[in-house]
Amino acid sequence: MTTIRRFCCDDLLRFSSVNLDHLTETFNMSFYMTYLARWPDYFHVAEAPGNRVMGYIMGKVEGQGESWHGHVTAVTVAPEFRRQQLAKKLMNLLEDISDKIDKAYFVDLFVRASNTPAIKMYEKLEYVIYRRVLRYYSGEEDGLDMRKALSRDVEKKSIIPLKRPVTPDELEYD
Amino acid sequence: MASKFGMAGGIPERRVRPVWDAIDSRQFKNALKLSTTLLSKYPNSSYALALKALILERMGKLEEALSVCINAKELLYKNDLILIDDLTLSTLQIVFQRLDHLDMATSCYEYACGKFPNNLELMMGLFNCYVREYSFVKQQQIAIKMYKIAGEERFLLWAVCSIQLQVFCGNGGEKLLQLAEGLLKKHIASHSLHEPEALSVYISLLEQQAKYGDATEVLSGNLGSLIMIEVDKLRIQGRLLARAGDYGGAADIFQKVLTLCPDDWECFLHYLGCLLEDDCIFPSGTNTPSIHVSTSIDCNHRHLSDDVFDSRISRASEFVEKLKAEAGSDSIRNPDLANLEIERRKIIFGKGSYDKLMEDIILFFSRFGHLACFSADVAVFLQVLPGDKKNQLLEKLAKGIASSATSSKNVLGQHITLFKIRELIGDLFPLPEGDLVGFAVEMTEMYCQNLPLSKDSDVQESMFGEEFLSMTCNVLVQLFWRTKHIGYLLEAIMVLELGMTVRRYVWQYKILLLHLYSYWNALPLAYERYKSLDVKNILLETVSHHILPQMLTSPLLVDTSDLLKGYSRFMDEHFKESADLTFLAYRHRNYSKVIEFVQFKERLQRSSQYLTAKIEGSILNLKRNANSIEEAVSVLESLNFGSDFLDVSNEIQSKKLTFNEDLQLRPWWTPSYDKNYLSGPYESMSNYPRETLQNDVKETESKVTRTIEKRSLLPRMIHLSIQCASSSVKVNSNSDINGFDPKASTELKSLLESYAKILQLPFHDAVELVTSVASGQKPLEVFSPNLIDWMNFAVCLNAWNLNSNGITIPMNWELLCSLLQQSVSSKIKTAKPLVSFPGTDLSILVQLVTEPLTWHGLIIQSCVRSALPSGKKKKKGGGGGGTSDQSNTQLSSSIKNSIVSLNNTIDQVSKWLKEQINKSVDGDIDILLLSISCVDGGPGPGKVVKILENLVSSVDDLEVGERICHAVKSWKAADVARKMVTAQGTALTDFLNVCDSKIKPAPPPTASVRSITLKQRKPSFSFYFPEVFSITSPNSHDPSSSFVVVVESKQSISGFRLCVII
Repeated sequence: MTTIRRFCCDDLLRFSSVNLDHLTETFNMSFYMTYLARWPDYFHVAEAPGNRVMGYIMGKVEGQGESWHGHVTAVTVAPEFRRQQLAKKLMNLLEDISDKIDKAYFVDLFVRASNTPAIKMYEKLEYVIYRRVLRYYSGEEDGLDMRKALSRDVEKKSIIPLKRPVTPDELEYD
Repeated sequence: MASKFGMAGGIPERRVRPVWDAIDSRQFKNALKLSTTLLSKYPNSSYALALKALILERMGKLEEALSVCINAKELLYKNDLILIDDLTLSTLQIVFQRLDHLDMATSCYEYACGKFPNNLELMMGLFNCYVREYSFVKQQQIAIKMYKIAGEERFLLWAVCSIQLQVFCGNGGEKLLQLAEGLLKKHIASHSLHEPEALSVYISLLEQQAKYGDATEVLSGNLGSLIMIEVDKLRIQGRLLARAGDYGGAADIFQKVLTLCPDDWECFLHYLGCLLEDDCIFPSGTNTPSIHVSTSIDCNHRHLSDDVFDSRISRASEFVEKLKAEAGSDSIRNPDLANLEIERRKIIFGKGSYDKLMEDIILFFSRFGHLACFSADVAVFLQVLPGDKKNQLLEKLAKGIASSATSSKNVLGQHITLFKIRELIGDLFPLPEGDLVGFAVEMTEMYCQNLPLSKDSDVQESMFGEEFLSMTCNVLVQLFWRTKHIGYLLEAIMVLELGMTVRRYVWQYKILLLHLYSYWNALPLAYERYKSLDVKNILLETVSHHILPQMLTSPLLVDTSDLLKGYSRFMDEHFKESADLTFLAYRHRNYSKVIEFVQFKERLQRSSQYLTAKIEGSILNLKRNANSIEEAVSVLESLNFGSDFLDVSNEIQSKKLTFNEDLQLRPWWTPSYDKNYLSGPYESMSNYPRETLQNDVKETESKVTRTIEKRSLLPRMIHLSIQCASSSVKVNSNSDINGFDPKASTELKSLLESYAKILQLPFHDAVELVTSVASGQKPLEVFSPNLIDWMNFAVCLNAWNLNSNGITIPMNWELLCSLLQQSVSSKIKTAKPLVSFPGTDLSILVQLVTEPLTWHGLIIQSCVRSALPSGKKKKKGGGGGGTSDQSNTQLSSSIKNSIVSLNNTIDQVSKWLKEQINKSVDGDIDILLLSISCVDGGPGPGKVVKILENLVSSVDDLEVGERICHAVKSWKAADVARKMVTAQGTALTDFLNVCDSKIKPAPPPTASVRSITLKQRKPSFSFYFPEVFSITSPNSHDPSSSFVVVVESKQSISGFRLCVII
């Protein structure tokens, strides 16, 4: 029912039903294309019969030493295809690539502290709140940095929650 | 050479750092000061100069930046001992690129590479320059050089990609691919390959040459292990086997993939396609590795014998059963859907059973019917069912819901699906009006009844039953189309507005509303809805079509200009940055993305919408500045006098335009942007109109191409018309000066011929048509539906005729004025009140004023300006002792009459607009509300609104939650009506302002005209302000007298406001 494949430029012209959703940001071109040029394995699209775009995930892999990790930049599903666990499938795919191909220690993502439905979903997918990032979203709303340890982090050190919140300039990566 | 440790461009880093810091913190003034100090210490440093250029460019001092940059470049060339490092070069490159001088950056790198051969860093910089210039051959050459020096795999791949680009995006023949293959083979033999992307390129290279067997061999060999995800490898393998015609082998492979990924629908289609040897889904010879997935009826497996077909189908069925069993209670839908596909194929082959297919659909519905995507999933299967079976299916599905014992949310989902299927199969079209109203009522009630399900949901989350309102709108619009009763259309707006009040984020409502408001001439409101969609970046390319076409023919000139500018800016920025992103892909060794990026950029460059925006943007700019000939001429100058667009027009047929608009989200009644069923008579459709979409799209695409071809001639035609008009006056006013401009005249004639040809008539027939309509021998309707094009033609034809050097055609000022007058009058005569007549086409009237009448005004201004003696002209004329001749007098009176006629014509529009605007808003609101006031139980519109009003009065916060309750209570039908009437008024006022700007009488002379100085005398003189004053020279009988009129005004004296006739 769902075909998941690498995202390509032409998909940018077909994802309007996903991106018109007000919670899905439409980034500038260099943002998408930088992800495609650098981390094509971390950018996947899901298609339904009739080649309709159901949703997509974009992410990257970065970090040094034990901070080497996969990062979910955006994951989104069109309203028509919600409640089918598609986001879970896409997340699992990115986790798999981070784990098996890039041998990363963990996967992380940022979510608005007010976005309770999304936080709940990530918790279901075994993500834990690692730390709070103060005023992360446009200097207004706090963000939550959520993480899930991968097989390389045997002791799950990467997800031990920090005791205090951090500010955006303390973040290691953009 | 390369940077030394602690040095930057030959200067100690600690000295440069403060400059960088200042640049980074955007303190450019300070940075400039620091760089000047740096330069005083290192006057011979190209790097210091390059930094200065960079700062100047950031400060917006572009010319200065370029000159400093060129100095730096010359310094680099001049001094043999000078250090050339990549930092200096890359800094220069950045500035040159920002200044649009890529070639200079390239030559710097070329020079450096010549001076320091074998320096890889510099060579990479040069490669990057060629990437930016899209010089594929040079890219290949330098990459090969780098490969020879370093022997690195990546440089070879850079060369191979450059070769592929020559073949797919340049002029290179396919034989080049063989060369690339040879290079790779040689490398593999000695070094093997180490990157998965390199292997992908190698396989794609073989595939592009149809060497599927070789590719399969490579993949099965040692290199295959580079692809780490097993299913990815299998998918490629399956594709290669299928393309090689080994369907059996391919089917086995796809079967393996399905065992690993049982929910992969595309893979199932490949599997079945291979089993049935359907070569439709594996077109060979395509450049891309993707496989076309057949969703339509055209499958090609009729060549199989019955036995073979049966055995293949039973193999597929058995496999699907196995998948189903393995999936167990998991919610994957693929196996169920697969059964439907198998039955569909059987039907196409002539061995299937409609009843079995229906049975399977019903089964599928019972499991997944509640999902929002269900109807779209089964659309392709419904297509093969005959009409009566479709109806039977609907009945059975409805019964299924009634007897289902599932949760209320699922039942709701099933109801929504059922209505969607109705929409899909066009079941609603043949129904009587009452039944349709019944459906609309039922769906609205369901929306209201199910509000409690969303009681606790966040405003950002989708609500249960949201789709009901869109579907109600669809039915109501159909009712309006059928009955022409505006109440239905208003109800369609009302339900959506209520939905928006409850949850303002539903983009589906916004799109429907923007089309409804556009249709009902409330464009400002439509535009507001569009803006709330927050369409930006790439969505501008795919979503703008919802509003752009209406805006282009509207009086909202400023908003339209903003829209076009925003879109063009986005596209142009992408074209600028695209090459850098391509280089990023090279650097990160994602070679497949290199080709993809270049092809994508080309696709956007050939976008029909982009070309339209460029041309219409320029025409719009001209429209907005046409009240002053000086401003219009300067706009034309900025457009290279329209010459650039001529190339667009000439090349359009050979250039394969792309159409990237996403039309799927358009409402049913306007499936493409030049089609609106509501504008035509009602026709019962056996199929839902969306099924004809493909044909509509093709038609639209060819129309758009023709329109671009035609419109891109216009700026040049206007420029030449202005020229011709101007020369004609010079000829007439002074026989000493040879004002006749044969070049302009000849070119204009040829453009008019091309224009007429696009309008599908030879030039002479076109002239005859125009003149015979002008003289009343033929009705205006013969121009339909290209009235504006014909009027533009007539206006330019008249200008050409003024300066046609003896070639006479029966066209003159009077005829043209009469034609323009007629067209405006006829439109006004047929225009109906906007409120009571949705779909009234005001756009023609708007275009008449903003185009032909405006161009005509410009041409008049051109004549007037040429007739007005300027200081310069006076000198040329050597005292200006010309004699007054007959033609001069005739021309003067013709122009004067034209001005009067033009003013009268526009005034006629103004008067009509004022009448409309002055109508009472409350009166219009009453008309609207009356249209939905239904008599209890009686026929006609109003029932849906009644439900909404009942909801408002009875909504209970305990049931639906405080947020929804509060929102519902704030909704009022009268508010919706008022908003729309106000928006219509705003659009009309905007139009009136456009008209007024053209005919507004100049304020009284005492207030605005500060002085009129008579410096010299001329034979005859009249000074004409419409309805203000007119002066005649007292010495009109003295042939030697002449004078210059100097008018100073606080306001711009422009367009039709001031005309001087000499």
